[in-house]
Amino acid sequence: MTGSVRSSAGLVWRHQRLVWWIFAVNLVLAWLASLPARATLSAVLDHSLASARLVTGFDIGAFILLMQRPDVQPPSLAVGAVGASLVFLLYLLFIDGGVFTVYEEDRKLSRAEFFENAGLFFWRMLRLGLYSAVPFGVLAAINGGIASYAGKLSNEAPQERLGFFVNMGSKLVILLVALFVRLCFDLAQARVVRDNERGLCRTLWRSFKLALHSGELFVSYIGIGLFAAATAALGIGIWVYLPHSATGASFLVLELVTITQIASRLWLKAASARWVALLPSDVAIVMAVVAEPVVEVVEVIDVQAPVTEPLPEPLPEPLTEPPLSE
Amino acid sequence: MEIRCWRICLMAVAGLLSASGIAQSTPPNVPLSDRVVAYQIEGKYDAKTHTLDANELLTYTNKTGVTLDKFPFHLYLNAFQPKSTWVTESERIGSRDFARGTPWDDKHFGSNEVKSLEIVGAGGVTEDVTKQMKFVSPDDGNADDRTVFEIVPPKPVAPGESIQFKIHFVAKFPDVVARTGYKRDFLMAGQWFPKVGVWWNGAWNCHQFHASTEFFADFGTFDVKLTLPAKWNVGATGLETGTKDNGNGTQTVSFHAEDVHDFAWTADPSTNVVEDSIKLRGRTVKIRMLMQPGHMDSSQRYMDALKGTMRKFDEWIGAYPYPQITLVDPPHGGGAAGGMEYPTLITADTSWFMPHSMLVPELVVEHEFGHQYWYGLVATNEFENAWMDEGINSYTEVKIMDALYGRNTSVLNSRLGTLSEREEQHTSYVPMSDRDPLSRPAWLFVDGNSYASITYGKTAVMMVTLESLIGEKAVLHGLHEYFERYKFKHPTPAEFTASMNESVGQNLDWYWKQSIYGTETLDDRILSAGSERLDWYNKADEKKGVTIYHTQVIVHRRGTFDIPVLLEVKFDDGTTVREVWDGKDRWRKFTWDRTSKLVSAEIDPDHGNLLDRDPFNNSWVEKADRKAAGKVAGYWTLLTQWLEQALSWLA
Repeated sequence: MTGSVRSSAGLVWRHQRLVWWIFAVNLVLAWLASLPARATLSAVLDHSLASARLVTGFDIGAFILLMQRPDVQPPSLAVGAVGASLVFLLYLLFIDGGVFTVYEEDRKLSRAEFFENAGLFFWRMLRLGLYSAVPFGVLAAINGGIASYAGKLSNEAPQERLGFFVNMGSKLVILLVALFVRLCFDLAQARVVRDNERGLCRTLWRSFKLALHSGELFVSYIGIGLFAAATAALGIGIWVYLPHSATGASFLVLELVTITQIASRLWLKAASARWVALLPSDVAIVMAVVAEPVVEVVEVIDVQAPVTEPLPEPLPEPLTEPPLSE
Repeated sequence: MEIRCWRICLMAVAGLLSASGIAQSTPPNVPLSDRVVAYQIEGKYDAKTHTLDANELLTYTNKTGVTLDKFPFHLYLNAFQPKSTWVTESERIGSRDFARGTPWDDKHFGSNEVKSLEIVGAGGVTEDVTKQMKFVSPDDGNADDRTVFEIVPPKPVAPGESIQFKIHFVAKFPDVVARTGYKRDFLMAGQWFPKVGVWWNGAWNCHQFHASTEFFADFGTFDVKLTLPAKWNVGATGLETGTKDNGNGTQTVSFHAEDVHDFAWTADPSTNVVEDSIKLRGRTVKIRMLMQPGHMDSSQRYMDALKGTMRKFDEWIGAYPYPQITLVDPPHGGGAAGGMEYPTLITADTSWFMPHSMLVPELVVEHEFGHQYWYGLVATNEFENAWMDEGINSYTEVKIMDALYGRNTSVLNSRLGTLSEREEQHTSYVPMSDRDPLSRPAWLFVDGNSYASITYGKTAVMMVTLESLIGEKAVLHGLHEYFERYKFKHPTPAEFTASMNESVGQNLDWYWKQSIYGTETLDDRILSAGSERLDWYNKADEKKGVTIYHTQVIVHRRGTFDIPVLLEVKFDDGTTVREVWDGKDRWRKFTWDRTSKLVSAEIDPDHGNLLDRDPFNNSWVEKADRKAAGKVAGYWTLLTQWLEQALSWLA
């Protein structure tokens, strides 16, 4: 697991230009979306002595009063944020083809190559993105249902903490399932790019089976998720202890948190891309005929690999034709 | 001389007794109140069915000065039935317990069933009048509401005479709602017995139980004996006078309370009892807390808040006259029992892992203990004048929470942000400021939000704003005088305002008229402010200290509330000027010709006028400072970035 995590981290590090680009777009979109809010707030606060209550500390009463003003309409301002988020999602889906190509081939692509791959796979990435909304939506609904049931348990079960533990336990399980779903879709994205697969349902099904047999990769996902959570907690912890008036430092710290979250997401993609890149192109056939777990197939390859590496470094030959269907 | 010596000796003995706490160990028999009612109740609680089978003997003494030919009674627990006024209103306008449109759940069913009602005549002969009970709905005519019944005695009761009612009733408690009922083994029994109405202002006052109303009753004595499972901890209004083990797995606990107007009790097998005491004016008051085992980390917080609050009330308002205060901590899931006041018994509210930066336990304890004064002792009509207990109590809550926990940090004191109690009340008031007047009966407010915002929030900000007009000391002195004058009584709003006017030595009717009886709103602002050269035609360079500037500030009254306005203007030579405007017109222009330019202009510079809806337009700073807008907009940008990130989980 450590080797897998480390080598995918190396991929992210070597191609950190991707992190910076994604972060720049993330920031610019959010900045543009916040321009109306900035203008509205400036009109209210710039010449008001009451604004000091938001600078020298953060007076929540003053903030609520600010939000209650008729000229400050949080719901209408939120429309911009949601719009920016949708654009950002589309942007990520667009570049996914290029990103996976970079990670699978572990080389710097020219701008033309990158966007060629981005354009080539955009429609398929978009469809996969839409498909992924289904299981995540189902998970969100299940989470809501369990939370509601846990609330009922809190009120009515003989043991007053039962509802609390059910709620917390279910959240943990749902989080792990969500991570697994993400793993399936990341593998599918990686396979689409590596094998230029067009049958997305078939690809998803294969990726699901592959994910089931990729325990090590899933553990890597958990590890990377924990890293993301830890860095976010650390960053927010530092931010909490900064003086309220240090707005610049606060902004920088929280932006660093944002960068680590983006890097972590790319780390997950890199781990999947690397995992798929190491699979033989006919792995599907092997799985179908021998009905052996993928992990074992990988082990066979490992025997032939250089002794110094836990996993073979050379990438398999790119497919010249699509793999046979099952 | 001899008489003086005796007096000194007596005073010394009395002082020693009170200082040693001996005086309080024998409750004074001198009535502190009119003692119109005397209730003797014996009940047996069935923990499996959550019912209480009880016999009540009520002795009512007619101190009204008129002959009484009928008696109305409350049966509050009947409110928890699907067609009752309480449930219907909750469904339509929402309440703290039921959000609008919440489906009816049978677990919330509660009832007070009168099995028999007899009137005790001369020689102890009783006359059964059960069949003459008549349910009435004086407020809304809802024939399905059974929260008030009337009885006509065979013989009218003349002034000075007494009448006895002997009532056998069964109380069925609901799954806890509206501060009464059970949760698992825990029981909070409030409004559980047939309670007679109040003869007030020349008529019976006995309203139905509404979604947003509370209670109103006469002072008197209570002797209550409760039989319930052995080893359960029991807390109640008044003092425990005895416990008897019945040997059959039950115990009978007796309580006595005097000069109170209600009686509530609680029972729970699993609570921890925490006891302490506090000395106030030489008297020792016992503090008894019934804590849930999972909430023990809030125990000291409750205790500190309670003691601090008691000291402040004792210092500012008056003496707490009872020998004990009991605090009940409801269990998890039983929050509907939390945050409630009964005479000498309050319920608190906390949760597991309650952060120390969130002062919710302290706030609830302060508020509920405050009701011992504004409801318990000054027993206003909570149906018709809810602001007189909840609102005035919210004002003292602001004062005491500020004093105990800091003016800016009395609700939330976190590194992330702070919130003060006065701002909490202010922000609650602002969005509802023009909906209902304070003087409106509680059940006639437009909805539950308006009731809460106006009754609690507006009264608090009205009293804080009054401080800015007449001074903090004057307001607290006025409240102290009002308390002393009306403790153990049922004052009206007019008596409150008259008492305040007299105590502070000012006729404040102009203020009361707008703030209590009106829906006027207040939003004064700086319409424009700036300085320009007086010799604007002169092309020579400006010379500091020589060039004269014409400074103009226009104050604009946007709302309809007339109130004097204090303006503070700062100039760049360091001088500060304060001007007063009576606020009678729509706007007022202030001008100065001097050798310094305007730095800032601010109305209400001491920030005491909380009736003003918008503090951001109260000032104008000549030099723009973009820090606040930058900070808030920066956080907005960041939240947008994180929203982008969250959605990108799909990519």
